[in-house]
This record gives sequence, structure tokens and C-alpha cells, in this order.
Amino acid sequence: MDIIADFFRQIAEDYPRWNFIWMYEPLQQGKILSGIWMTIKLSFYCLILSVVIGIVGAFAQGSKNVIIRSLVQGYIQFFRNTPPYVQLLFFYFALGQFTPTYSPDGWLEIPIISNVGWAIISLSFFAGAFNVEIFRAGIEAVADSTKEAAESLGFSRFQTFRYVVFPLAIRVSLPSLNNNLINLMKTTTQAYGIAVPELLYQSVTIWNDYPSAQYPTMLLVFVVYILLVGVLVMSMNRWERKLRIPGYGH
Amino acid sequence: MIKKILAGAVAASFAMAPMVATAEQCSNDTWNKVMSRGKLVVGVKADYKPWGFRNTDGEIIGMEIDMAKNVADTMGVDIELVAVQSSNRMQFLEQGKIDLMIATMSDRKDRREIVGIVGPNYYTSGTNVMSPKALGLTSWEDLRGKPVCGKQGAFYNQIVEQRYGAQIIAFTGNAEAKQALRDKKCIAWVYDDSSIGSDLSSGEWDDFEMPLNSEDDNPWALAVPKAEQNCVFGRFMSGMQYQWHQDGTLAELEKKWGIKPTKYLQDKQAQYNDWLAE
Amino acid sequence: MATRIPGISELSTTDLPVLKPFLPRSSPQLHTSAWLAGFSPWTGLLLFLPLMLWPFASHAAGNYTIIDAFGTLWHWIPFLLKSGFLFNVIISLFAMLIGTAAGIVLGLGQISKISVTRKISWFITQLFRNSPWLVLLFIVLLAFPFEITVFGVIIMIPDWMKAVIGLSLPIMANISEIVRGAIMSVPTAQWEAAESLAFSRQQILWRIILPQCFKRMIPPWMNWYAILTMATPLCSLLGVEEIITLSRQAMEAENNHPELLVPFYSFALGLFFIYCYPIARMTMYLERRYAVKI
Repeated sequence: MDIIADFFRQIAEDYPRWNFIWMYEPLQQGKILSGIWMTIKLSFYCLILSVVIGIVGAFAQGSKNVIIRSLVQGYIQFFRNTPPYVQLLFFYFALGQFTPTYSPDGWLEIPIISNVGWAIISLSFFAGAFNVEIFRAGIEAVADSTKEAAESLGFSRFQTFRYVVFPLAIRVSLPSLNNNLINLMKTTTQAYGIAVPELLYQSVTIWNDYPSAQYPTMLLVFVVYILLVGVLVMSMNRWERKLRIPGYGH
Repeated sequence: MIKKILAGAVAASFAMAPMVATAEQCSNDTWNKVMSRGKLVVGVKADYKPWGFRNTDGEIIGMEIDMAKNVADTMGVDIELVAVQSSNRMQFLEQGKIDLMIATMSDRKDRREIVGIVGPNYYTSGTNVMSPKALGLTSWEDLRGKPVCGKQGAFYNQIVEQRYGAQIIAFTGNAEAKQALRDKKCIAWVYDDSSIGSDLSSGEWDDFEMPLNSEDDNPWALAVPKAEQNCVFGRFMSGMQYQWHQDGTLAELEKKWGIKPTKYLQDKQAQYNDWLAE
Repeated sequence: MATRIPGISELSTTDLPVLKPFLPRSSPQLHTSAWLAGFSPWTGLLLFLPLMLWPFASHAAGNYTIIDAFGTLWHWIPFLLKSGFLFNVIISLFAMLIGTAAGIVLGLGQISKISVTRKISWFITQLFRNSPWLVLLFIVLLAFPFEITVFGVIIMIPDWMKAVIGLSLPIMANISEIVRGAIMSVPTAQWEAAESLAFSRQQILWRIILPQCFKRMIPPWMNWYAILTMATPLCSLLGVEEIITLSRQAMEAENNHPELLVPFYSFALGLFFIYCYPIARMTMYLERRYAVKI
């Protein structure tokens, strides 16, 4: 371990612009690692929550109730036509004012939802809006006769959805869903604007404190994101191949 | 008292600097470029009221802009103002995009190695916090373990975090940081005491106060390109700052822009007073 | 006369329990444009009503009322439009221009016969498709020199030009995918028929395949333009002078009253909407017009 640390210390001396400070200083190392962990956490929760929102929204879109249908429509239109960065700002500052708070010391009002929580909520709703559309298209690809057959066997609307329609719909919409989820992981960097301590935020802090570490840190951020997205892409492709419907699709 | 000692130390260090500086040939590239071009490009802040901010016509105005205009007038050239931010002001100067930088930069040792900082420093400020009166903070230790809002890029964020264990939440802009303070998402906002003072005197922040003692009193510095530091341009800017202190220009500008008069400028004026003046 | 083929040009008419072809209401690539175009122009105004109602509900922390806030915004509008939103538009136009040109080159490279070209193009495309836009912007804006010397002439590169380059990289990768997809969607039969008529590969591409692809590429291309325009506010995090940066500076000049946040940001949202909505409508129109008729 010390050899590596010394090696990078040497490089920092020989090349003042290439200070790999997070290789030999534990404080900065801790920042980078916590940033990576936060990015992974953000992506994980947003991915899952956005898929759940997509499923619920797609189910609600087929509802008989006009109010529910128009609510879902309004939600989709708002989140697809505004920049996600401004959505984050709006959620954290505007809606954040109305969250109930608890006070650990009699003054500070810690909102129940922290800025990390709002980032997760905002990004999930953003991706969820696209997912609703994707799942709806998948659901429409299921033949009416199949649904009618399920109904004739005594399935309720919810049971038809859960046991018959949805498994087929998800296989059909998987390519578009993968695209959207990959996009979501990349969009998590924008949480930087509301001070969520993910990787980009920690890196900017490091290179503001140590201007000599700017180039190595930028390189690190770039490589880490490529790797994370690459892992997601590969696992999505694997999942796609496993769920492929034989003889159908591209 | 401390400021006097600091000022004296800084002046002494600047006096000693020529002795340790290696004797290099001065090529005066930037000075010659400005003179032949007839235009001085100055980097200033556009988001730090009242040192540099915008008016509705989109022009940048403020105390540092007036200083820059004074420099250009003295040199006999036109002026062009470029809005810079804390994250790119040194880089712009290094790359030659701007010739001179007057952008509320704190004078730090590692910054002196990158850009040519010349004294005597024209201003100073310390780190302090703006916190609600209801909280009644009395010492820096009260911040331990609590969330404190700040601005990305400020050098004291790290210091406060390490020295007092505060949890700094750094936003990209001051508007967001102050809004978070109002929303009680943090117990205090850490920033320059001069800026906090100007905010408190504006009347919008009557429920807030600046209770702690200013720490790390850190003079501000303007900068010329590193190569010009010991050449014509650097010496000229030193002379300008000295003159501004002596004839009270800086104190007048302070008054013009509504900044609370600081002891630092009064001390400097007394220190550099012309012995023959009435 | 368009031939009707159930299952390809229209929904299948069989009643056998098979899966219908995956036909979303519009092309799967055109999510953004389809939904932006999907509603009437008045919805834009309706969307901002709840945004405007928020300040009345928020606790007033001072004597600065919402009327003052909107009055303040009014004074700043000429500045925000001229020096702010104009740059967003310029950045998006130039980034699209450069990204398209480079994307076409990359796309053609991806189907090249030379394996080295193919692999390099594939790698560059995947690299820039999968990197976050904000990280790319940081790297380009901070590491790129601000002036370059070409044959003794010094060319200044302002910040917004660097932002253009930073944003054109992911656009280039996505356009390359669109080009590749469009070329792949042309039936192989056409390639074979052209080969049997002794066309060279170059001639086949430029005289037969690409003219057909061109029309198909336009709607997804315009879709990416809408996405790009909505991504230009990211440049504000790096200090490029565009509408969000200038809104922040304007708010700072007006003493950062929290009541200013909503009017200024709603104004920015409204501008983006007014700009992107006609483009979305045009995209849907072009898609309907250029839909492949077999």
C-alpha cells in the first residue's frame, strides 16, 4: 500500500498538474469512496422507484375513472417537458418547504426528506414519467383476446394485470426500458446542483481545495461513470437476452 | 490590533519578497500587449454584491469595477470587463484570457504560486456565519455535528469542517444557500464577514445575526499574471493599491457602495499617511 | 397507392391469441417530442398557474411581496433574453450542427468494412453515449484551452463555444446511433439488388441507401434537438453565461430575496417551453409525413 502511495506522491512532485491526491491521502480517499457509494445508492433507489412508478402509472392509465386518468396525464406532461435540473431545484426548494420536520434539538428543523431524499424522488418521478409511456406501449401490445380470455376465467382486472398482461408487457418493452434506465443513471449527476454528496460533488470539492488535483480527479470521475454505466448496460443486456420471447421481436 | 500586526507582517513580507525572488529578465509581455492594444481586460465578479454585480442593463457595476476603471484610466487605455467565478478566475489569468484580476480573491499561499499576487492588499475579511437570532450561537464549537450551508469553492469550507466538525452543505449559488438557511435546513451560513455584514444591513435579514468572532482574517488580493509579478505591471498595481490606501479612495468607494466601513482601511490610511499632508 | 399489410403497416387483424406487433402510439424514439406536442398551447399557461400560486402559500419572510418579485423580474427580462436565452439557443444550434456532422461520420464508420474503423467508431459511440452529460461538460470546459494558435493566428474560444463542444459529444454519439439504425432498417434486398447492378459500395451508400434514410432520420434528430435544448441549463453549473447563470446574477443584484426564486425560474421554464413546443409539433408532423409506406 505504501509503495502505491509513495509512487503517486512522487508523480505529484514531478508533474505539478497531476496530483493524484486521493491515492495517497486518506481524507480525500474517503471523500471519493463516499461519493461513489452515494452515486450507487442514488442510482439503485431511483431505478427501482421509477420502475414502480411506471408500473403503477401504467395500471392507472387504464382505469375507468376520468380523474385518475387525467392526473396521470398531467403528471407525465409536466415531467417530460421540463428540464430535470430545474425539476430538482423546484422539488428541493419549493416542495421542500412543505415537508413536515422533526427537531432533534429544539431549533433545527430537519425535514423528514433530506436533499438526498428529494433527489431520489425528483429523479424517480422524472424517469417514471417516461416509464409509464413505455409500459403502456408494452401493455397495448398484449392482444385483447388474451385479456378477454383471462376475464372469462374469472380474473379480476388487477389479477389479469399481474399474472397475464404485465409479464408479457415487460418483455416487449424491455429495450426501451433499458435505454431509459441508463439515461436515469447518467441524470443522477445533476443532483450536484442541490448539494447531494455524490461523486461529482465530492470531486469538485477536492479540486476546488487542491487545484493541482483537477486533471486526475476529472479523469477518475469520467472513468468511474463509464464503468458504472457499463456494468448497468451489461446486466441489462443479459436480462434482455434471458427474457427474450422466442421467435418474436428484433 | 491583530489586523495591524497582520498588515505589518504582510507589508514586511512583501518588502522581503524582492530579496528572495530570483532575478529574471522582465519581458513585460502583458503590459506591452495592453498598451499596444489600447485595452485592458479585467476579470471581475458579477454575482457578489456590492463588489461586482449586474444592473438591469446587463452591465457589471460595483466597488471592484470602479477600482478596475481607475486602473484603466491611469494607464490611458479602454477597459473590458469579463465576469469570472471563483472556480475559473485563476485559470483565466493564467491562460491570458484576462490581464488583471480583481475578483474578491482571498490571498492564500497556494494561490500565490499560480498567479502574481501583489500587495498592499486592498481589503480584508474573515470567515463568519450568519445564524438565526433565536438559536443564540456563541462559539464556533456550537457548530459541531450540525449542518452548515456554504458556497462551492470557498476555501474556508474545508477549514470549518475540519476544525469544528461542522457538516458543510455546499451549494452552487448564494441564493440557494440562503434559501436553505431560511428553510431551516441548516443552522448557519458560512461566508465572508463583509458580505454577511452587508446582507444584515440591508434590512431583509432582521431575524439573523453574525454572532461569532471572525476567524482566519484573510486579506483579499488582486492579481496579475505570474510573469508580471516583479515587472512593470506588478509594480504598477502595487503602486495603485498604495495610492488608493493613502488618498482614501478605497474608503470612499466603501461608502459609495454601502459597505460598512472597516477598521482595516482606516488603519491602512493612517499607516500610509503622507507626512506633509494637512 | 400504399399497400396494406396487416401486421406491418397496420395492426394485425387475426383473432388468434398471438402478441400484436409492438406499435406504440408514436415511434419509440420520439417520446419527448410526442408528449410535448401532445397538448394544446394553453396547457403551457395552465402549468405555470400552480407555480405562481406557490408564493402566496409560502411563509412571507419579510416585506418583499410577490408583486415586488414579479415587478423585479419585469425589469430584468430584456437582459435575460438578450444575453441569456439567446446563448442557450446559440449553444443548442451549434452543438446540434457539430454533433450532426460528426455523428454522420461516426455512423458511417460504424458500418464500415474496415474492421479497425468499425471498432474505433463503435468504441467512441458507446463511450460518449454512456457518459453523463454533466461530467463531459466539466471535463471539456475545465481542460480545454481558451485560445488556440492556428498558423500564427490566435483564435479566442469563449466559454459558450466550449460548452458547444462539450454538448456536441453526446449528441454526436446519439446521432451516430440514429444513422446506423436508419441504415440497418433499409432492407438487405436493396443492397443486394444494387450490388447485382454493379454499384460500388460508396455509390450504393450515397445514391440509394442514404437518400431513403434521410427522411427517416429527421424525426429522431429533432427529438434529440429538444433534449439538447433542455440540457443547456447544465452549463450554468460551470459559469457559462446563459439564462440560469444570469438569473442567479440578477437575483444576487436584487439581494437574493427568496420570493424571487419562483418568478425567475418559472420565466426560464416558460421560455424553454415556448421554444421547444413548436419544434415538437413540427417533429410529429414530419414523422407522420415521412412514415414509411411500403
